[in-house]
Amino acid sequence: MTFLEILPLLMFGTLALFIFTGYPVAFVLGGVGLGFALFGDLIGEFRYMQFFSLPLRIYGGTMENMVLVAIPMFIFMGTMLEKSRVAEDLLYTLQILTRRLPGGLALSVTIMGTILAATTGIIGASVVLMTLMALPVMIQRGYSIPLATGTIAASGTLGILIPPSIMLVIMADLLSISVGDLFVGAVIPGFMLSGFYLLYILGIGLVRPAAAPPLPADVGPDSHGELAILVIRSFIPPVLLIVFVLGSIFGGFATPTEAAGVGAVGATLLALANGRLTYRTLREVCVRSAVTGGMLFGIFIGATCFSFVFKSLHGDRTIIDLVQSIGLGPWGVLIALMALVFVLGFFFDWIEITLIVLPVFAPIVALLDFGAHIPVRTDVLYWFAILLAVNLQTSFLTPPFGFALFYMKGVAPPEVRIQDIYRGIVPFVLLQLIGLGLVMAFPELTLWLPRVLLN
Amino acid sequence: MLSLLKISDALSAFVVAIGRLASWLFVPLAAIIMIDVVWRVWVGSNPALTSSWFHRNIGSTKLQEMEWHLHAALFLLAIGFTYLKDGHVRVEIVRERMRPRLRAWIELLGCLLFVLTYCYILLDFGIDFAQRSYRTNEISNAMTGLSERWIIKSMLPLCFVLLALSAISVALRHLVYLFGPPELRRRSGQFVEVDHLAEMKQETEEEIAAYQAALRKNETGRAKGP
Repeated sequence: MTFLEILPLLMFGTLALFIFTGYPVAFVLGGVGLGFALFGDLIGEFRYMQFFSLPLRIYGGTMENMVLVAIPMFIFMGTMLEKSRVAEDLLYTLQILTRRLPGGLALSVTIMGTILAATTGIIGASVVLMTLMALPVMIQRGYSIPLATGTIAASGTLGILIPPSIMLVIMADLLSISVGDLFVGAVIPGFMLSGFYLLYILGIGLVRPAAAPPLPADVGPDSHGELAILVIRSFIPPVLLIVFVLGSIFGGFATPTEAAGVGAVGATLLALANGRLTYRTLREVCVRSAVTGGMLFGIFIGATCFSFVFKSLHGDRTIIDLVQSIGLGPWGVLIALMALVFVLGFFFDWIEITLIVLPVFAPIVALLDFGAHIPVRTDVLYWFAILLAVNLQTSFLTPPFGFALFYMKGVAPPEVRIQDIYRGIVPFVLLQLIGLGLVMAFPELTLWLPRVLLN
Repeated sequence: MLSLLKISDALSAFVVAIGRLASWLFVPLAAIIMIDVVWRVWVGSNPALTSSWFHRNIGSTKLQEMEWHLHAALFLLAIGFTYLKDGHVRVEIVRERMRPRLRAWIELLGCLLFVLTYCYILLDFGIDFAQRSYRTNEISNAMTGLSERWIIKSMLPLCFVLLALSAISVALRHLVYLFGPPELRRRSGQFVEVDHLAEMKQETEEEIAAYQAALRKNETGRAKGP
């Protein structure tokens, strides 16, 4: 390999090095990308004037892009739901509804994770929220600590997979596929995983009742009437909102962007109905959503600069040549990519991973041909995106590094030892791997529902 | 040193004020999407509305273009603001174990080498990009779209002006932290002496406590009732 062929790979090395300094990823991406361009200018591989098309790229890719408008709206919706304390209400109600079941509290946490997968889906934040909300209660009720932490970490990361998920919007945009179809494709794998968790918890509750004791019978309202009011007040509205948002996309009535906007308004009305919408709350939700959006799009623009320079230095050809010279075949390439992403998931949130890795590898993925395993070539990208999502979620949970575990340990009460967290997550990681294997072996799990629903 | 800190504070206050103002754009953005959807459904059920003033002069194309305009303005004006709020993702795994002084050095060099270079190049080409649009009086490609494309296009260089100002503010702050007198360290160290996780934990715990207090109040209220 010549030096010029190594140069793009060197870009990745430098990027990795500087990212670990802890300086914001968005700026490292931009700085390293443009730094290499200036270096390329020195050695005659890049001309300064080529930057001319960079603003056009940013404009066309991130600004003038209707699909991405869904992102700030979903962020706003999630932040509003969180700020108006819908999550707490939901957990409280679920706890009471499942109080007679073995492992009821753990089941509630999983169901809440599934329903509120809508919240912004930034892994760090959602794991912190779920841990602080549910873990003290579970410990106080005498739950086994590994079971409690495992349930929370697994359910808290489910949000990236279950629609509406910001990650899926970004993946669809980067792979140039339809957001709506990808959302529909994620439904069965997502609910399958959540179903696995529920079955596992129920099983533990039956076999080892001491690990997951039921709530005392006097918790919650006494009469059925009061219970019904509680359910109607705190359970039905958010569920309806999510069903409405997803239903309008799945039914083909609205684009994901429109559904997200309507969802944002809906969440605001929900807060208003709960009497929790004050001027201060609205301002806080706006500011916090703006910071989340600024963070996401900061990386978006940084990654645009980085991959622009990477491509200008013929990095995409280097990568394709490299992959072809190894001669892995479609399955080999797929597994190598999955392994790469899995390792990255130990250190990074999905934002950096998808925005850095996908632009570089999307051309390779688009070339993959799985023959009879996936007869329609365009379906490969949908299947790939779902595999990537499940893979990422698994990676967040895998000891010793798992991104979600790092956050969990950081905020858990001191009596929770890291060994407990590791021990508790093992069964869930196994369930994840089963799920991943199933989606890999049976692409229909992803492809069937979009076909029947949207055709 | 104190004057450097004051300059830093002033720059920061300016960028934060713009960011806070821009964050309100969420409200018109959500409202416009809502209006667009509702109007389309309404027109669908009542074809007579196609001859109305609103449909002929505003219509779906303008609304949808307005949507991405607002979205783009929102995040472009928020990027610098996010830096000052320390909201940009960092990889904490190594940083967690660093001494504050090392963190401060990284922050200072990062601002100078990465952000300011980044801003310089994007301003160099971004200003030209917006000016071209202004000179050619660029309008939407769609027949019924919005005119005056230069407004949204000039948000791009504006974004990098704001980002450069925030980077200067952060750099000055860390200059004071590294070389200034110890008594200014507390005021200049909010980036490097803060444990993000602990901060996040505290915020969330406060919210949960407030919720539980409200719940208890509610329950005792009910118990006292008839």
